[in-house]
Parts: sequence; structure tokens; C-alpha cells
Amino acid sequence: MLNLAESITSLLTTATDAAGGLQQAAGHGAAEAAAHGATHATDVVMGPWYVLLIPLLPMLGVVLVTLTALLGIRTKLPAWLTVACLGGAFATTVVMYWNVSAGPAVTYGFRWIDLATGNGHRFTADFGLYVDSLTCLWMLFVTGLGTLIALYASEYMADDLKAGYARFFMAFNLFVFSMACLVMADNLVLMFLGWEGVGLCSYLLIGYYFKKPSAVAASKKAFVVNRIGDLGLLMGIFLTYVEFGTVQYAELFPMVEPYVELVKSGMAWDVPMRVGLIPVLFMVGAFGKSAQLPLFVWLPDAMEGPTPVSALIHAATMVTAGVYLIARTYAFFVVSPIALPIVAWVGAATALVSATIGMAQFDIKRIMAYSTVSQLGYMFCGLAFLSTAGAAFHVLTHAFFKAMLFLACGAVMHGFAGQLDLRKLSGVAFMKGWGIVGIAMFVGCLNLAGFPFTAGYFSKDMILAEAFVTQGPGYSVLGWVLLVTAGLTAYYTFRVFFRVFVGPRHAEPGDDHHDHAHDAGEHGDAEPDHHHGFHPHAPGWAINLVLALLTVGSIAAAGLYFVDKENHGWVGGMIHNSSAYTSAGSAAFLDSANIGMHVDDPVGTGHSADHDDAHGGAHGTLFGQDPHKIMYYVSAVFGVVGILTAAYLHGPKGPLGLFIGGRTKAATSRADGLADAMMPLPTYARNKWYFDEFYGALIVKPLRALSHVFHLIDKLLIDGLVNLIGSLPRFVASLIRPSQSGLLQGYAAGMAAGLAVVVVTVWMVIAVTGGGS
Amino acid sequence: MLLAMMIAPLVFVLIVASRPAEHARGIALLGSGVSLLLGLISWRMFIRPGGPDAIDPLAFSMDWLPSMGIRLDLGVDSVSLLMILLSCLLAPLCVLGSWTAIVKDQRTFYGWLLGLQAAIVGVFAARDLMVFYICFEFTLVPMYILISRFGSTNRRAAGTKFFLYTFTGSLIALAGLVYVVWFTAQHHGGWTLNIDRLAESARMMSATEQAWVMAAMLAGFAVKVPLFPFHTWLPLAHTEAPTAGSVILAGVLLKLGTYGIYRFVLPFTPVAVAEYAPLIATLSIIGIVYAGLICWVQTDVKKLVAYSSVSHLGFCVLGLMSLNHAGLQGSILYMINHGLSTGALFLLVGFMYERYHTRSMNELGGLAAKMPVWTCFMVFFVMASVGLPGLNGFVSEFLCMLGTFQAGGEGGQWGLTGYELPGVTWGVLGPWYALFAGTGVIIAAIYLLFLVGKICFGPLVEPVGHNDHPGPLPADLTGREIFTLMPLAVLCLVLGLYPSPVMDLLEPSVAKTVAVVQSAAAGESRNDAHIGAHSGLDAGAVIVSEVLPTVDSQTGGVR
Repeated sequence: MLNLAESITSLLTTATDAAGGLQQAAGHGAAEAAAHGATHATDVVMGPWYVLLIPLLPMLGVVLVTLTALLGIRTKLPAWLTVACLGGAFATTVVMYWNVSAGPAVTYGFRWIDLATGNGHRFTADFGLYVDSLTCLWMLFVTGLGTLIALYASEYMADDLKAGYARFFMAFNLFVFSMACLVMADNLVLMFLGWEGVGLCSYLLIGYYFKKPSAVAASKKAFVVNRIGDLGLLMGIFLTYVEFGTVQYAELFPMVEPYVELVKSGMAWDVPMRVGLIPVLFMVGAFGKSAQLPLFVWLPDAMEGPTPVSALIHAATMVTAGVYLIARTYAFFVVSPIALPIVAWVGAATALVSATIGMAQFDIKRIMAYSTVSQLGYMFCGLAFLSTAGAAFHVLTHAFFKAMLFLACGAVMHGFAGQLDLRKLSGVAFMKGWGIVGIAMFVGCLNLAGFPFTAGYFSKDMILAEAFVTQGPGYSVLGWVLLVTAGLTAYYTFRVFFRVFVGPRHAEPGDDHHDHAHDAGEHGDAEPDHHHGFHPHAPGWAINLVLALLTVGSIAAAGLYFVDKENHGWVGGMIHNSSAYTSAGSAAFLDSANIGMHVDDPVGTGHSADHDDAHGGAHGTLFGQDPHKIMYYVSAVFGVVGILTAAYLHGPKGPLGLFIGGRTKAATSRADGLADAMMPLPTYARNKWYFDEFYGALIVKPLRALSHVFHLIDKLLIDGLVNLIGSLPRFVASLIRPSQSGLLQGYAAGMAAGLAVVVVTVWMVIAVTGGGS
Repeated sequence: MLLAMMIAPLVFVLIVASRPAEHARGIALLGSGVSLLLGLISWRMFIRPGGPDAIDPLAFSMDWLPSMGIRLDLGVDSVSLLMILLSCLLAPLCVLGSWTAIVKDQRTFYGWLLGLQAAIVGVFAARDLMVFYICFEFTLVPMYILISRFGSTNRRAAGTKFFLYTFTGSLIALAGLVYVVWFTAQHHGGWTLNIDRLAESARMMSATEQAWVMAAMLAGFAVKVPLFPFHTWLPLAHTEAPTAGSVILAGVLLKLGTYGIYRFVLPFTPVAVAEYAPLIATLSIIGIVYAGLICWVQTDVKKLVAYSSVSHLGFCVLGLMSLNHAGLQGSILYMINHGLSTGALFLLVGFMYERYHTRSMNELGGLAAKMPVWTCFMVFFVMASVGLPGLNGFVSEFLCMLGTFQAGGEGGQWGLTGYELPGVTWGVLGPWYALFAGTGVIIAAIYLLFLVGKICFGPLVEPVGHNDHPGPLPADLTGREIFTLMPLAVLCLVLGLYPSPVMDLLEPSVAKTVAVVQSAAAGESRNDAHIGAHSGLDAGAVIVSEVLPTVDSQTGGVR
């Protein structure tokens, strides 16, 4: 018998002891691990078991829907199963919201990645859920909207009952599961699982019409661009572990607290560089997922997916994951002197750039996509202006009205055989059966435009006001940029409304690419009756019901601003009880301002994230007034001017064009002349300011060329060397037998081989000595 | 038990040889099934309570050539056991996957397949250098025959190149190992070929000697892995090999290289490894990026998957070079996970090839319309290969990169003496290595989604005249083919979501290796810094024995 212990001398015995110790450490059970997570931070309690249902129910949905596919069921059953599972998850979330107290709670699931990493430390990333009010806030709208949009999709996707219906709902459920993991994770690695999981679902759903090359390309682009951001996030996770020795929120947040205190006491530059770098790396991930400059290019293309997907994933939930990440790890951002200013500038630049692109598009779904990018820019600015409450409130209101706008556009697309060109549709709201769609669209547009007293108006104001309040590098400039963008937003939003939903009734059907793209081969030559006798089919009960509910929800969301006034709305109260809340606030900013930026009030007490009106000292002003108060009027002016401009340029003749419009045909409007006059800017904007071309020429093409070069090197140089060396023995043999033919080539080959050997030897010597030193 | 696992396939080889050809595949399935069963039984025996390393219930030992110190020593630790299990699992799947693909010379094919299985078990179970080396070299013969007799058009050249290249490499490795044996005999008296004893004495070698021995061993193992720039045999061999050959080649034979590094290079020459780890890690990273980009411009599906193996195995070697727990565990998991997902990809490509008789991406496209089930599996395994969290590839890739990121305490990029950060460990790499390796994750997404986008999605493209001659197989996968892929899919999911049993199993073995390597290497570098003299044998021996008692018994790190 081989006995390891016997044959090993003192050297290995020591090592075995070490292994034994580790083994014991590895033996700890699940419960211990859970306790382990909970003991470090005293205020974290064990969460209730049922919160596990929130990710598990959608997972059950995945399994059930897959089963229906395997059983060959071709009815709407997958949709109803999805609605049931997601509805259950929503109900559980409501229960969780009721029961969640001020403190965070951790519910332990099972062990996932857990190992000793040496030095007596462990790397633990288990399947555990961290619940605080930030979690509740996000999960409420994720599961709520998920349920509604699944209901909508039951009708919308009905054309695909024969193929793909189950596939759609499988990915839909998987998305909600991944999103739940992302939002509810109790550690950064499980969060990363959700993060990549939603990316996968996005990939699968954008590429849902997989026969369409553009859809396939768009899905690929989305995944790859997201991966670039994900690498940054991954590095951030590594750095967090290296710095703090844990990736679990419950242990992590208390460890960041001392740094926050440091910043509060004005010693922001004493925070180690490494800690300051963590949020910068997280940010890269957030910019990828939330489609910010320079990684925003994937989101507009993602509109190739079915519209319910655009509404849920690419407008309401997944793209806000970046905002969530920053809010969740807000303490890191506060202690870094550079992170939040970068977020602010990137957010404002994205808001402006994508708004200008949106103004020039003709595809209504793309306009909504660019407006999503733009609004996400606002949310990032909100975070950067220390108004996590404002950012989160905007996420919530935006989730409702943008999902509704997308669903309304989807209803149009569904009814008009895929037509999305605003020059080919007019007066839709006044066609038979389209009333609810028209109303939903109107309410959604008002919200997006920031029309006074809508929910979108309040949430945008919270962010805008902070731009002038918070001290930071060039923040007041950003405030003006955002105000102008708000005007542009109002303009392009109502451009859609005035062109498509009011005015003379006119509709040209599209080429049906949404319904039958996957049968493209079949109807290539036989589409005669498309333009003759086309009847749009008005939406059915499911679509109307969902739109009506969302309309009510969007209007009611404004009321949330008045609940819990002392925390600036219900959302503010939710933020106050979560990790996104920090009172270090602008101390970090005052400090960074001291370094080199202009500062109004260097001795100010700072402005806290949950500021109330009782604060004194440092406070930016707008027109000499308190920005919080005056912003209500300023932003209203910008919004109304935008709407009036849209009415003048695109509104129809008569009362519905507010008596200043003059459009009589679907295809043309007063804006055309203006656009001609401004050439070539509109063309540039229509082409996305050539971002895609720029990336293509600067990154994709060179990389592709490099790949070809590598391939050649591999074939000719590296493999050639190998072959040469391999032929050496044969060559030597041929020298010994000189009568062989091919002597000359042999010599040549031999010389080349000899040279190659010398080169390789020299290279290796250099590499070895160089690499070793 | 281990002996039985080696002998059982050989017995079935005899049965295959003695029965008519049409029975060969059935017998081979039975034979590989038996070895899978034996593998599962030994796994049960191994994880029995009482500690896996206390008494090895599977071990077998008998004198072979006592005068030379050669014994037939078999035994496993968790690392080799997992590798054996992987090969036991892949063998029956290979038989099932070749069920209809191999029509001529079935006896030869299945016979050698079983013979290969026996050799592989021998390699991983060997506790004696001679047994190891014989089995290591013997794996070449069946593989050579599988490639050069059952491959596609260019099979002879591919087979010859595979054989000569790897054989040359392992001869150089043999020279290095022989030196260790000679050294041991010189300094400890008496011949021994026991791997653990050899490792122990090899560590007494001077740094210079270690460097040469390491270089020699790497010559063999790096070719096998294959590490850039020694990889050019692999795409050719993979492309020409039959499906089963590719699966075994990617799934198990490449791992002989990384396993060799883990089993021999790390414990034999820790000082040299610590010195040259940056160089080797750099080569791995170049391999990750370089091979990944080459994947992107391939038109042959199989060649793409083959190059992706080069890229992926770069992560594996990188993890090993981090010389810490996370990296080593990640690397070993990577060996298994890569075997599962890439093995499955080769099977899928094989199934497609059986139907279309082409692997050119120019002639294929949009197969999802014709083969939805195949596409589902394809997307699944591509995602596993991309490293999507929740599937197996992520855990190992994550740990490899984490290990690399952490490893830089003394002499590495963190440059922290005493490594006061909780997450920093001893090692000579650091964050930049992890970052550059991380670009490979993006590149993997680019080329694998390029592959899926091209052949699965888009408008349907089939080779000209494909539908004129319907083959015996249906358009989509048959039940047998689904049954072949299912175990791999389930394992990918399980190892992605619940890897902790495997990780717990690995932890003691890895901890032991890490302790050995770190104490020797860290001690050396410390002495190097303080004393400044480590040339010559005695100095090295003294240093190692001096340093050992200070090993922290809990962690293996040196304080």
C-alpha cells in the first residue's frame, strides 16, 4: 500500500498540517457560513425565507415554460405560466416590502463559490440575498412591470404561437430571475451572475428573430459591448476583494464607513488610491450596462428585439442596473474624489448627445431608445449630484412611463404591420380602437417631456436642482446642459406625438418585419396586398389593459413625491434606509473642489444626499434663488418651450396642433425646411454622429486586420519554424546521401532552419534573462 | 481499484479484437461504461469520511524492477481522481458520439479508443515516474492512429506532426526528469522513482539546476498544453481528427500538459517557477489573446473551436502560475470544465459534420431553422465556454483571474512586503496580468458569438445539393445524440451553480501544493534578498531546510 504520510519527510509533514487546518476550515456547514456573513456587521439580521421565492419563482417559470416547449404545447399557456410566476414574485416582493424594517437583512440560500485563499482568508460568494429598501424599490418595479409586460406580450407575441412563443417566455422568465439575482445578491459575485445573466437574456431576446441578420448582429453587439464594461466590473470586484478581503455587502459596507468618515472630516486624499479606484472600475461596468458614453452604441440597435423586450429590458429594468450598482455601492463612490465627477460629466454628455440623435430619427422606436439613453444620463447625473433619491425616483418614474411609451409604440407596430416611420403614420389616436393607445402615449409623452405636475417632471426636477446646489467641477454648466436637454427632450417627444398620433388620418403598413421576419424566405415575392386594402388591427384586451394600468400608474407616481415629504418623497425614504444613503455627501466634493476647482463656499458644511431645507452654508444658487424652489419654474419653461416648438414644427392644423401647427400631410412638416437649412447637422445626428463608423474604423477593423495578421504569422512563421526544424533530420539525411535530388532547396532550407534555430535560441535567452530579472 | 480501472479497458480491447466488427461499438460502449462505473465507485470510496489523504483506499503498489527502484505505484489525490473521472465520463460519450460516424475498421477504432482510456487512467494514477512516463508516451500511439487512420483529408500529416512534435517535447522532459532521478540517487543514495520523493529531493537543487530542469519539463508539458508558441500542432490535429479523437484530445490529453505542470513542475522546481512565472504567464496571456483573435478569422468551425482551446488553456496555465490557492483551484477546475464544454462543442460540430459533410462557415448558416435542438445545445455550450456565470466556465475562469490578480505580494505587482492587504497573497503576478488576461474574456465573446451568429442564426445556408441526398440521419439531433450531450449539459450547470463539493475536495490537495511551492520559493526569494547568495547546491539545500520550519501551519505562507 502506498502511504503518503510515511514516505514524506518533515517538509511535507508541515505542509500536511497546513492542509489539515484548511480542511477543517473547509468543513464548516451552510448555517455557519450564513452566520459568518451576518456576524461581522451587527445590524444585519437574518432575512425571512420567503424572499428566496422572488428569484425562484421566475426560475420555476423557466422550467415550466421549457416543459411546455418539450411537450409541444402550442397555445398561450407559456404566457399564462409566466404571468402567474412573475405575479407570484411580485406578490412576494410586496410582502417583503411590508416586512422589511430599517435594517438590512440577509437570507442565505446555498454555498456557491467558497474557498480558502491563503493567509487565513477565505473567498466567500454564496447564493444569499441582501434585502434593504433599495432592494425592495428595485424589485417592486422589476417584478411588477415584468408581470404586466408578460401579459402584454401574451397578445403581442401571439403571431409566433407556432414557433418561438415558448422560447420568448423562457428567456423572459430567465431575465427576471437574473435581474432578481442582480438586485438581491448579498455579494458582488452573485450580483455579477445576475449582471451577466441579464446580458445573456438580452442577447437571446434581441436575437429573437434569428433569421434577420440585423437582429443577429445587434444581439452580438449588445453582448460584446456589455462584456467590455463587465471586464471593468470584474476588475473592480477583484480589487474590492484584495483591499477588503470580502465581497459580501454585509461585511463590506461597515469596512468602507471609516473612509467615509475620513472624507467627512475633510481628509479625502488620505483614502488609499486603490479604494478610490474601485468605483472607477465599477463605473465602467455601469456605463456598459446602462448604455452611457462611450459604450451606448448597443442600445439603439437592441430595438431589433420584440417590443415587450425593449420595454422591459431596454427601457425599464436592465439598463437601470448601472444606476442600481452605483446606488448600491454608493459609499465607494463617495470616498473617491474622481468617481462622481466622471459620472456627472459622462451622464450629462450622454444625455445631450443622445437627445440630439433622437431629434433626427424617423423610427419612433429608435427615438424612444435614444430617449432612454438620454434619461439614463439624467439618472447618472442625479447620482453624481449626490441625489441618489432623485436618481432612484427618476428610475422609478422612467420605468413606468418609458415602458408605457414603448408598449404604445409596440401596439402601433403590431397593428400597422411593423410600420415605425413617423412620416408614414398620422392621426393614429383617432382611428377606431386606438383610443387607449393614444391616451397612454399622451400621458407618457407628457411625463418624458417633463410637463408640470407629471411624475417625470418631479423626478427630473430633483436632479436638475441638485446640479446647481451641489459643489463640483463644472456642475452648474452641467445643470444648464441638462436643462437644455430637457427642452430638446420635450421637443422630440412631442414630435412623435404630433406626427403619429394626431393630425390627418393616414397609415402605410410596414413590411411586416416584426411579425414574419422569421419567415422572410417565404413571402419574398408574394406581398401584393400589403398596400391595398390594408386594415390595421387594433390592440386587444391584454394590450389595452396593460396600457391603461400603466397610464394610471404613471399619473399616480407623481403622488409618491408628496408622500414622506421630509425625505423628499417615498423613494427618498426608501433610499434613506439603504446603502445608497450616505451623509458624507458633498464633503467629498468640497474637498475635490478645494484641490483645483472654483468653489463658492469653502467653509460650508456640505450638502447631504437626503438634504432637507434646513441645511445652511454651502448652497449653490440659480438666478440668485434657491434652486430647489425655482427649478419648478425653470424646468417647466424649458419643457413647455420644447412642446410648443414641436407643435409649431410638427403639429397638425387646428386645435390639436395648439393652433400653431400647420401640418396637413403625414410625410412632411415645417421641420423639413428647417432641417434643410441646418444641413449637414441633421444628417450627422441621424447617423448617430458616426459613433458606429468611428468604432468600426478605429477598433473593429484594426482588430480584425490584426487577427488576420496573427493568423498569417501563425501559419507561416510559427508553424513554418516548426516545420523547418521538423525537416532538419530529413535534410541531414539527404546530406549524407548526396545523390538525392533537391539538394539546392535542401541547402536553402538548411540555412534557413539554422538561422531560425539561432534566432529562436537568442530570443529565448533574451526572454529568459529579461523576464527573469 | 485503480489497477482494475487500467486493466478493464484492456480486457475489452481483447474482446473487441476477437469479435466481429459490427459488435465493436457495442462492446466499446460496455467497456467504457464499466470504466465509468469503476470511476464512480472509486469516487465514492475516495470521499468516504475519514479524510481522503489519510489512507488512500484506491492505492495499489507492487515491486516491478526493485533493483532500479521502479515500482508499480498507483494512487490518487483529488486532482488526479477528478481527471480520471473526466476521462471515464468522456469515453462512453465518445463511443456514443462516433456511433454512426465511424463505418470502416470499427474494431481498430474502438480498440484503440479503449486502449487510450487505459493509458490515460495510468497517467493520472501514476505515483511512480516510470509508470507515469510510459503511460504518458503511450497515449500518443492510440491518438496517432485515431488521427491518421480515421481523420479527414489531411490526416496523415496531422497525425505525424502531432506525434513528432509532442514526442520530441516529452523526450526533452524525460531528460529533465532523468536528471532529477540522478540527482536524487546522488544525494540521497539509492534509486527511487517515487514521484513524491523525487519532488522532495528535487527541491534541494540549486536555483540554476531547477531552472534547467523546469525548462526541460516545460518543453514537454508546454507543447502538450499547448502554450504559445508551441501550439501549432493542435489546430491541425483537431481539425483532422475524428470527433471522438477531438473530444479526448481537448478533454483529456491537453490536460496532461497542465496536470504535468501541476504535478511535476510546481513541486519539483518551485524556485525556478517563482522566478520564471512572469515569463510563462506572459506567454499564456499572449496565447489567450493571440489564439482568441485567430479564432475570429477562422472559416472552419472545428479549427475555431481548436484555437479556442489554445486560448482557454492559457487561462489554465495562468492560474497555475499564480501559485496561490485561488489560482490553482481555478486552474484545476478549468481543466475539468474545459473538458466538458469544449468536448461538447466538438461533439456538436461532429454531429453537424455528419449531416452536412462540411465544416466551412461559408457553406453553412442559419441552422437553427433546421436543427433547433442542436442550436439550443450549441448556444448553451458556447455560453459555458464564454464563461457565463451560472455555468461551469465562469467559476474556474473567475478563480484563475482572481488568483492572478491577488498574486503579487512580494516581488509581484502589488509589491507589498508582508502583504498587509487581506486579499493579496504571495506570488509574482498581479493586477495587470489579470487585466490583460481579462481581455481574453471579451475576445471569447466575440469569436464564439461570431460562430453562433454565423452557423446557427441568420438566413438558412446549406451546402449546394445538400437536400438532394438525404443521409440516414434526421435533420435534427437523434435521441442518441441528445443522450450523449445531456450528461455534459447537466454537469456544466451543476458545476456552475454548485461547485463547492468539488472545490472542497480539491482544497486539501491544492493547499498542500501551495504550501510546498510558496514556502520553498518565498523562502528562496527572501534569502535571496537578505543573503544574496544562492548559487551552488548546498546553499539551496540549506536554505530550504532552514525555511521550512517557519511555515505557518495554518496557511502555508511565510511570515
